[in-house]
Amino acid sequence: MSTLGRVVATELKPSTPHQFHFWTAPEASLGIGTIVRVEGEGRTVFGVVMEGFAYADLARPLDAVIGADGDPANVAHEPTVRPEIRLWSAAVLRQLPEEPMQPVPFGPVALASDADVRIALRMDAYVREEGSTGIPVGVYAAGGLSAPVLLDADFLLGPEAAHLNITGVSGLATKTSAVTFLISSIFQTFPAGKGSVAAVCFNVKGPDLCFLDQPAVLGEHDLALWRRLDLHPAPLTDVTLFAPYKADGVNLNTLRSNSALRANVAPLVWGLREVLDYAEVVLNRDDVDAKADALIDFLAERVVGKRFEAPELRQAPFEVMSFADLSEFFEAIFDFLEANSRGAEVWRTHHIATIRKIRNRLGNIATRSKGLVTDDGVANDLPWGAFRDRSLTVVDVAGVDPLAQDLVFARVISKLREHLERRDLGVDHIIVFVDELNKYASSDGPDTYVKKMLLDLSERGRYLGLVLFSAQQFRSQVLRRVTGNAGTTVYGRMDSDELAMPGYATLSPAVKAKLAALPKGELMLRHPHFTQPIFVRFPRPASLSGREGVEAFPPAADLPFAEAVVERLKALDAGIAADAVRTAIEGRPEDEVRRALSATAQRRPEEVLSFFRGCLRRTVVAAPLEPRRGIAPLARDDTDPFAPY
Amino acid sequence: MTASPFATLRRRLALVGGRASDAPAEAAQGRRGDASFRPAELLEGDLVHHVVGTAVPFEEEVAFLDGTQHVELIGYVGTVPVVAAIVRAAVRLRRDRRLSTAVFASRRIVVACAAVIAQLGPALDGHEPIEAAGDEPPHPIRDWEAANATVDRVRGELEIRVAREFRAARSDGWLLVDGSLSVSPDWATDNRMIGIIKSHASLPFEGAALERYLTLPQGCRTSVFAPQSSRVAPVHSWGLRLHDFVGRDLFHGLIRVEVAATAGALARATPLSRHLLAERAPLSNDSRADRLLYGVHDVERYLRAQGR
Repeated sequence: MSTLGRVVATELKPSTPHQFHFWTAPEASLGIGTIVRVEGEGRTVFGVVMEGFAYADLARPLDAVIGADGDPANVAHEPTVRPEIRLWSAAVLRQLPEEPMQPVPFGPVALASDADVRIALRMDAYVREEGSTGIPVGVYAAGGLSAPVLLDADFLLGPEAAHLNITGVSGLATKTSAVTFLISSIFQTFPAGKGSVAAVCFNVKGPDLCFLDQPAVLGEHDLALWRRLDLHPAPLTDVTLFAPYKADGVNLNTLRSNSALRANVAPLVWGLREVLDYAEVVLNRDDVDAKADALIDFLAERVVGKRFEAPELRQAPFEVMSFADLSEFFEAIFDFLEANSRGAEVWRTHHIATIRKIRNRLGNIATRSKGLVTDDGVANDLPWGAFRDRSLTVVDVAGVDPLAQDLVFARVISKLREHLERRDLGVDHIIVFVDELNKYASSDGPDTYVKKMLLDLSERGRYLGLVLFSAQQFRSQVLRRVTGNAGTTVYGRMDSDELAMPGYATLSPAVKAKLAALPKGELMLRHPHFTQPIFVRFPRPASLSGREGVEAFPPAADLPFAEAVVERLKALDAGIAADAVRTAIEGRPEDEVRRALSATAQRRPEEVLSFFRGCLRRTVVAAPLEPRRGIAPLARDDTDPFAPY
Repeated sequence: MTASPFATLRRRLALVGGRASDAPAEAAQGRRGDASFRPAELLEGDLVHHVVGTAVPFEEEVAFLDGTQHVELIGYVGTVPVVAAIVRAAVRLRRDRRLSTAVFASRRIVVACAAVIAQLGPALDGHEPIEAAGDEPPHPIRDWEAANATVDRVRGELEIRVAREFRAARSDGWLLVDGSLSVSPDWATDNRMIGIIKSHASLPFEGAALERYLTLPQGCRTSVFAPQSSRVAPVHSWGLRLHDFVGRDLFHGLIRVEVAATAGALARATPLSRHLLAERAPLSNDSRADRLLYGVHDVERYLRAQGR
């Protein structure tokens, strides 16, 4: 053990069982976050440096002025350099033996070795030759030493604890990179005996998570870090990206639209049935009163997806499969109330105002979520029940309306939960990565369905294997129960104002200063096994970042309708002749073509073109084009004063 | 009493029939001198002020020597005081502007009359017994002062010893001593030793000359003189004002410099004064910072840091 310093204690700065002080030479190679080892009195104590002090023997600053004749430059010519002290405060990580717990002995201090780091962070409890549950998260580096730091899978993915929360300023905190790397590490090292694991990431900003299957060029420094962590520097292999359509219904609303990358890009399209189950998500809390709730339940249970007979409205039964069908249904009710039962305001116990309100709200979904929600009833969804081990599903909602984003979050997470409860998701553990918690789970603001759902996930998800990896800029402004339930907490570069919040009071000023200037690729880590926060460095992910991906694979321009259909079919069968497709769809309504295209994409038949043609109507009506079928525009004189449109 | 390094010794004293005591350790304040005039012989014409010019740091290695003593009256055997002391001395060498210990020595002593020393016997374990001089009847106050003088002497001897050890290892380089060179013939003839006297209890001039001596402007030295206070060996000396005294005490920033009484001493007075002016910085963290060279202060602090 090479002595680096020596523990000192005075009446004002005593050694305690949880803290000690030591001095070193000024040139000693250590700093905030360095792990040290103290030997003495038959005990070994490990600590992490939390604060540093330097001072000379100067009684007053004025003495320095007098000594230098008032010229600071003279100090450099003083014949004797004042001795300086480097005094460090360290927080105890671990004592051996652990009992009886005593103040830290006044022994020599040395830098911790690899083995010391493992013991100090209690990794020896879960990093073993056999049955190890360690997940590499980064490298602790100090004084020329570097030691891998591993998280305990039982405390990262459950069941002991779970969830991970990462905080840091935008652009510098490497939140996305850190999560990407960690998912890669989990996929490579999650013990087989613990079951299968997959991840679902919501891409909410630009192209951030769109190219995780594309290899990045790593520098030697990053490759060395990958090697040090005993990981293979490769991008994620089993990646599928789901994105809604743009309003045209054929071009996908994602920046991963380059033709070279379309093989594992799928549309995310939901119909009325999928939306209605989560109607609460998109309705204001005030809207969901008992009356509205009752009408929604009535629609869900009696009308949508069923054959509903209402002779008072019309002779033929209703088959409400889409928003367009629903709109027709509502119009029939209004016609009935206004014409056939003049003066009446109630239809089957539902007041006309309630019916109008629900009609408006649901119609609003179809309008604002166009591309995600389809009128024609053919949905394309995540592979419920067929999630593969070590697979990553990216749901790209970066370009969609916030209302649609909420709907996507709520439905995807709720479905994940439902399937995990039934144990039929396809995997035992699913990691859900949600960025921008400041937006989706802010501590102030209204109680939204998404917020309640994230809270439920963070409080109860670990029992199911549903693990939340979340990120935000300002942890202090996120619902405390969401961040507080994260067993593992990660901090990137932090904003100084944020660090001044009471939630960071336990951090020393030096740690805060380090956090405020943390370089990219470095993080501070809290984990249930670590009694103090630890600084680690992690390698650049082996996948392309969003910016790199967009540069390497520029997004394709939106294609005209016919060309987009050709491209979509070519993605299913490269041998399809473009002219044959154009001929097949010529003169046909776009809705009909979209429906056929969706059905083809969903079925993925061997004879793509034949199947597609089969989905189109056999005869094309040579009549003038009818107005496009869709949601009826909302009346401007709507009686609902709270309608947003 | 519990904080004293002599607590064990006090207990042993009680066990052999003595009475433990903890009188104020006046001797710990350092050497004392009687206020007096000891007229000096001027060697450089009249007593005038010489401007020494710009401060110039020593180019050669410089070492600093000092000693400390911690004295306690630990009790009495009968009416005879028993005095214990820890005496230390060190030389700290400056290289690359940083000071480190070159030589260090320490003694733990007990001073008492021969009969008491004999009576204490094994109780003095770990302490060096030193018999106080004189065979007069016991007088607690006189004996206490005599014991202090003995401790002073022991410290002086220890300082001479560490200087000798240092010179044995390094014959060149400057050695600056806190105090007079005249205590040792070796020192008084060493051309590379300089004595720095901060105390002015014994003054070399009277009347108008004294006023001229004590009103020496900052950055000036007096004419060189031969002090009569030289105890063992003759030295040459001059006054040097390190810091401006105007508005302060007459003695503020005034030191007396001693060098070997050699033929070249007069010629060296001004250049050496320039070097000593350079040693004003950095300023010592001490109440005597106006006269205490930083290097000497560093040695004192090192010795104090050895604990009690």
